[in-house]
Amino acid sequence: MMTALLIAMLTGITIWFLVVQRLKTKPWAEHGVIVGSQEGLTSSAPRVGLWVFLGVVTSLFLVFVGAYIMRKDHGHGGGMHAWVPVDDPDVLWLNTAVLVLASVAMQIARNAIARGAVAKAKPTFAMGGLLTVLFLAGQVWAWRQLSATGLYTAETPAYAFFILLTAVHGLHLVGGLFVLARTALRMRELDPGNAVALARADMSIGLCTTYWHFLLVVWIGLFWLLMTT
Amino acid sequence: MAYVAIADRDHHLHDPQTFVTKYIWSQDHKVIAIQYGSVAILVGLVALGLSLLMRLQIGFPETFSFITPYSYYQFVTMHGMIMVIYLLTALFLGGFGNYLIPLMCGARDMVFPYMNMLSFWVYFLSVIVLIASFFVPGGPTGAGWTLYPPQAIAEGTSGVDWGIVLMLVSLAIFIVAFTMGGLNYVTTVLQARCRGMTLMRMPLSVWGIFIATILGLFAFPALLVAAIMLLLDRAIGTSFFMPALISMGTQTGNDGGSPILFQHLFWFFGHPEVYIVALPAFGIVSDLLATHARKNIFGYRMMVWAIVAIGVLSFVVWAHHMYVSGMNPYFGFFFATTTLIIAVPTAIKVYNWILTLWRGDIHFTLPMLWACGFIFTFVHGGLTGLFLGNVTVDLPLSDTYFVIGHFHMVMGVSPVMVLFGAIYHWFPKMTGKMANETLGKIHFWMTFLGTYAIYLPMHYLGILGMPRRYYAYGNTEVLPESGVIVNQGITIAAIIVAVAQLIFLVNVFYSLKKGKPAEENPWRATTLEWQTPDTPPKHGNWGPKLPVVYRWAYDYSVPGADRDFIPQNEPPREAKA
Repeated sequence: MMTALLIAMLTGITIWFLVVQRLKTKPWAEHGVIVGSQEGLTSSAPRVGLWVFLGVVTSLFLVFVGAYIMRKDHGHGGGMHAWVPVDDPDVLWLNTAVLVLASVAMQIARNAIARGAVAKAKPTFAMGGLLTVLFLAGQVWAWRQLSATGLYTAETPAYAFFILLTAVHGLHLVGGLFVLARTALRMRELDPGNAVALARADMSIGLCTTYWHFLLVVWIGLFWLLMTT
Repeated sequence: MAYVAIADRDHHLHDPQTFVTKYIWSQDHKVIAIQYGSVAILVGLVALGLSLLMRLQIGFPETFSFITPYSYYQFVTMHGMIMVIYLLTALFLGGFGNYLIPLMCGARDMVFPYMNMLSFWVYFLSVIVLIASFFVPGGPTGAGWTLYPPQAIAEGTSGVDWGIVLMLVSLAIFIVAFTMGGLNYVTTVLQARCRGMTLMRMPLSVWGIFIATILGLFAFPALLVAAIMLLLDRAIGTSFFMPALISMGTQTGNDGGSPILFQHLFWFFGHPEVYIVALPAFGIVSDLLATHARKNIFGYRMMVWAIVAIGVLSFVVWAHHMYVSGMNPYFGFFFATTTLIIAVPTAIKVYNWILTLWRGDIHFTLPMLWACGFIFTFVHGGLTGLFLGNVTVDLPLSDTYFVIGHFHMVMGVSPVMVLFGAIYHWFPKMTGKMANETLGKIHFWMTFLGTYAIYLPMHYLGILGMPRRYYAYGNTEVLPESGVIVNQGITIAAIIVAVAQLIFLVNVFYSLKKGKPAEENPWRATTLEWQTPDTPPKHGNWGPKLPVVYRWAYDYSVPGADRDFIPQNEPPREAKA
């Protein structure tokens, strides 16, 4: 299973590599010719940096999922210590909806700032942040519900994984919230006439939105995994 | 274009003003590189000292009362972990990656200088946490560098109270530092190259570092996951890895965990880690050989492809470290096959290095000596890898000194050969002084011959059946009298090699103070870092104007040219036609 995920990831990297490369060039025969330095990539450095980071986060979660599946299927125990699935709290559905709304709000903010509609971008961007805080609170609520049942201890593997996976995902959102808060603070003073400041805000909001969409996809994947196993 | 705006941007924002911003909280990639390098070498010296303590015990058992089984395993563990992660990874990528990428690509700095600074300081923190484990009750962990559960966190293992916790926390911090640095290296290579510098014009050093960084970014998360889960098993009693156990006569609370899962996670990181260290070495040695043999690298395009292919393949061979852990025979077959396939691109690289030397104008300068030494040690270590890659050969040799000999040759000595070659090669650019040739040559020959004296006999011991990780062998039939003598010889050789490294330190400090001033381009090299207006390069590297690249990095001994090298930024002669 892990191998399959892995090979998919590697194939992705290789294809990316082939797309940006022109590996048939003969650099030794091209003396003096100035070739355009950027061959396949046109987006700016922060955007590329974010995508590379998202690759790292993908790798992290894929490894977690691989570990989850291996532990579930190949744990060394039996009888009462066999894998017992967690009875997932219903609040997770609500949380998922809230996170979807957060992503939608961020996307509206991104579209607005791209048009220069600062007045619309500010509140929707802040709304994205608030909804995310609500999501995190909902996740903590889910933890409390599980722990209140008294059925699970740290030694229950499904429960430990539930907490671990939701916590790691939540930590990524908390990190994102710091960036979001910084951007929001900077935007309070934003003058729509200042093209440089506007471009910077556009970039920041764009990057935040990409990150949020990405974490939404990760959450939906995790949610599906937790629900079905 | 966006990338020009970044590469050409004035870095007034972080222009250093005071001593503190210039040398401590510096955002200059060259200063960060030297900070990384110094800390890595310093902590590497600690690991070197630990290896001597281990060797003293193996060579002369029952002689040193302060080496107990408890502390012996701590030496083993800390030596391995420090050398692989905190020295080699940090020095190649944090040190040389930082120094070379912007200079060789023609950039003013990394694209995220602030994050680059954070990367170093977080790395420094991880080293402090690691070293702190020497001073906590119970000392550092003695779990072996692979930290396999259950014994890593089971009662009776050295450092089970504090040491293992600090080790895992330190690893997690290191991975955060590496990720911040790695994002910078990859993004800088992709986005901040100067005009004319296509990817296929980059020197192989940059290619090696670039692909190694990508490997690191994808492989380190596996170690992070393993570390977090092991930490939870240790701290709050989860059972991710811990099976039901009876420890010290009582049943532990754990049940159902899978120790094999940890091994998968660890080696999913651990095998690419070999190439995280090896690929930069491959790249750098290619540049050293071409420059000092005054000849273009043989098969540049094939070299790039080989680096990429090795990088991809390195993710599908990890279980060859686990043949004796028990697995489906078909898995063993699969992993043996992929392991042997990886020998193909690797062999291509070795042939190309030798063909680069073939009929070259070889100058046996210091860097060249080390580069040639690398070819020997690497071929040697690589060939024994072919033995161990086969399941049936590995089973009897597993956990013997043959394995120790193999991996020290291939990923200990070989990368270190390149590291020293690289330090001697770029020393003039980094410091403005030439390193002392005589001291360097003594250092080389003592190290090169000395490491052979250490590791060659280990293969013999391994075939005899001498197991690794034993504190003492006593009167076993496994180790005949000859084996005991060989072990004493190895220990003496190890002490001599360790002393030789002091010569290196003396050379560095002596040359810094009294070395011959270096010219701008003492090796008459083509790559951009030798074409900077100042030596050592000042902040921003290139003065007012970025370089423009007109050719690849290997125009040595071009027929009809005035000199035997043409720098990458030299425009073509219009009048030629």
